[in-house]
Amino acid sequence: MQRRKFLSLGAVAAAASVLPGSLSATDFRKTAPSAWKAAGSAEAIKALYGDAKMIEGKIKIKAPKLAENGGAVPIGMKSKVEVESVALFQDANPRSAVVVFELGESGVFDLKTKIKMRKTANVTVVAKGRDGKLYSAVQKVEVSIGGCGG
Amino acid sequence: MKVKAKLKKGNVVVKILAKSPMAGKEEAEKKKIKVEFITHMTAKVNGKIVWEASTGPFLSKNPYMQFAFNAEKAGAKKGDKVEVDWVDSNGKTAKKSKKIK
Repeated sequence: MQRRKFLSLGAVAAAASVLPGSLSATDFRKTAPSAWKAAGSAEAIKALYGDAKMIEGKIKIKAPKLAENGGAVPIGMKSKVEVESVALFQDANPRSAVVVFELGESGVFDLKTKIKMRKTANVTVVAKGRDGKLYSAVQKVEVSIGGCGG
Repeated sequence: MKVKAKLKKGNVVVKILAKSPMAGKEEAEKKKIKVEFITHMTAKVNGKIVWEASTGPFLSKNPYMQFAFNAEKAGAKKGDKVEVDWVDSNGKTAKKSKKIK
């Protein structure tokens, strides 16, 4: 009994010592390199989050329907769902993944950034909730002048 | 890099304007510049990470980031510092801290 207790304690301690490292400063470029090489959104999302079913209608994407400057298209993402990570994908550039955000426990799901789009395409946001479920939203953005030829 | 942090209705809203050409392989070839883009950004408050971003070259040039966190949950108050740092594809780093207003 003593021995078993000691062993399980050891296992917990080992897990605890590993966790802080993975919770702070996760570089998704290193942990999921294939997601950054994928050309299409579907492929990139699968590489990052797997095949799980997505829940739609919970995330709001705020993006222009018609973007005049494809070099800097403002994209806003918002939801009341508590999430640990949010990833942004598009189908306008050679590769799909743009950015993966991670929020701390105090994080509010209200993010904004600007991306490049060289042509009209769909923008997809996928978020992983603290409940372990995946949430997604898609919006089409029309681009009149492509950005940067990226 | 410019950083702004403002406490509003219990949430601290942080705005970052980073400085990088964000040129990926294809863009660098076309413009005949070197590949250079930010790969990872981190924001800390009182030594605790509140936000992170793993980034690729399809963010706009000199990328803009905005995020928010709950001040109470993060144990942050006015006058505390938000520290932002990043590393780019060439290993170059940058750092900036700003007081929460």
